[in-house]
Amino acid sequence: MSYILGVVLLACTTALTCALPGVFVVLRKHSMIVDGISHAVLPGIIIGFAIVGDLDSPVLILGAAVTGLLVVLGNEWLTETGLLAGDAPQGLIFPSLFAVGILMVSMDFQHVHLDTHVALVGDMNLAAVIPLTVGGVNIGPEYLYVMLGLLLLNAGFIAVFSRALKITTFARQFAEILGIRTRLLNTAFMFLVSVTVVAAFNAVGAILVISLLVVPAATAQLISTRLSVMFALTAAIAIIGALAGFWIAYVLDTGTSAAMAVFYGVLFVAVAVAERTATRLRRNRHQDVKSEETSATLVRSASVR
Amino acid sequence: MTSTPLACESQDLSVVYRDEPVLRHVNFRVPTGSVMGIVGPNGAGKSTLIKAMLGLVKPLTGHATFFGQPFGDVRKRVGYMPQSASVDWDFPTTVIDLAVMGTYGELGWIRRPGKAERARAMAALEMTGMQDFASRQIGELSGGQRQRAFLARALVQAPDLYFMDEPFQGIDAKSQQAMIEVLKDLSAQGKTIVIVHHHLASVLDFCDHVTLLNKRIIASGPGPETFTKDNIRMAYEASDGAEAFLAEAG
Repeated sequence: MSYILGVVLLACTTALTCALPGVFVVLRKHSMIVDGISHAVLPGIIIGFAIVGDLDSPVLILGAAVTGLLVVLGNEWLTETGLLAGDAPQGLIFPSLFAVGILMVSMDFQHVHLDTHVALVGDMNLAAVIPLTVGGVNIGPEYLYVMLGLLLLNAGFIAVFSRALKITTFARQFAEILGIRTRLLNTAFMFLVSVTVVAAFNAVGAILVISLLVVPAATAQLISTRLSVMFALTAAIAIIGALAGFWIAYVLDTGTSAAMAVFYGVLFVAVAVAERTATRLRRNRHQDVKSEETSATLVRSASVR
Repeated sequence: MTSTPLACESQDLSVVYRDEPVLRHVNFRVPTGSVMGIVGPNGAGKSTLIKAMLGLVKPLTGHATFFGQPFGDVRKRVGYMPQSASVDWDFPTTVIDLAVMGTYGELGWIRRPGKAERARAMAALEMTGMQDFASRQIGELSGGQRQRAFLARALVQAPDLYFMDEPFQGIDAKSQQAMIEVLKDLSAQGKTIVIVHHHLASVLDFCDHVTLLNKRIIASGPGPETFTKDNIRMAYEASDGAEAFLAEAG
């Protein structure tokens, strides 16, 4: 497989892997918790890297994801104490963990040389450098297969628990009454999100991963009336954004992840404006019909008289 | 007191939010087949009583039983209609999807809702007069239509005991009429209904039993003998709304 094709496929797979759980992240209004996770996993990644020595290792990915869960569980715990309101608990936890990560990076913890820039925005091209060869044939970047595996895991989890996720997201109390263990489901789901964030770290870094997770789903929600439609649109937007981002980065000779994030942002604004305009036009037409009806009635009643 | 078996009861139920007591040692009994209205001023703990019984809020003391059993054993016989304010109306789901959710409890993890489930959902929408809105996104409905859609979901569950949290809040007269018809139907079928209600004047229109609540039970029992001026005054502690109602009622 050519290197370029490898990068394109990696961009698409990473985008899709992040975007699918993103649907429920957006619907649950947990976007900022995911932002917290993406910061909090940094020390986990560095410690894991010091031990395993490979950013793509599944052991590192699962281990570092546990650090992300600290945000979720710590957030729940602090909220329940009733001492802090709103999203203050989050703001308390993740910056501290992120700062620990930054200290580790800058102090060359255990001689881990992690480029700060890569830690923040990742490097898609660098992530695709190491190829996987089977029987002497290059079948694409090794990292691509890690992300493909995770894509299957995410899609599988969502497929199996789709109804439970849907109902706990939409009506948590109703779900509890049905006997769904909403808390366990939420923790499992957020762990999967955390795993996804860590796995995507290599390609898109700690900061931009939130864009891949949230923006395609947020855009799709603007124009979806059903969950299945929202999933289909989210997937389509993720892929289109990955291809467009790659192309923009290629032409401008800049970072793929940044170009993807910018494209997603522009697409969101375009869809939001289009949706608003369409709604306004529909409303106006509705009013026109109504006023026509009214005048028709007036004319009729006048002629009867 | 009465030999009618109980659809549900709470024993010594107390709930505290932070350090604020919301319910104090509540012994609440609902006879099978009754339509029980829970009334009381704002902050009296009406919704909390329902939620604590159903395990949505953790009680400090006491417990509840349903048909003589703990809730976990009889989930399928109990339906719940949430307060409108607690629903995410932007969620991408249609009215028919919402009604189909009423079958989730019995379907379990693996089986997907099919034709039979959709037919049941559609029948429930017809009962509440919502069949023409089946493919609408729930956010596009009026207040009354929203409540009728949620009533349809509860009907699909086909429980023996319904809990409804302020089902008539913010709805139009037509929706209210449609819902009262359904409630009367259910009652005629021998179902038990517990309704949190805040409009004093209409309680006895559809409830045959009333509980006056203000953090503790002031009075509870058959409608006319319980819903007395003295009891209302005691529950509302001279609140303006109750005074106006009492003045009007003479």
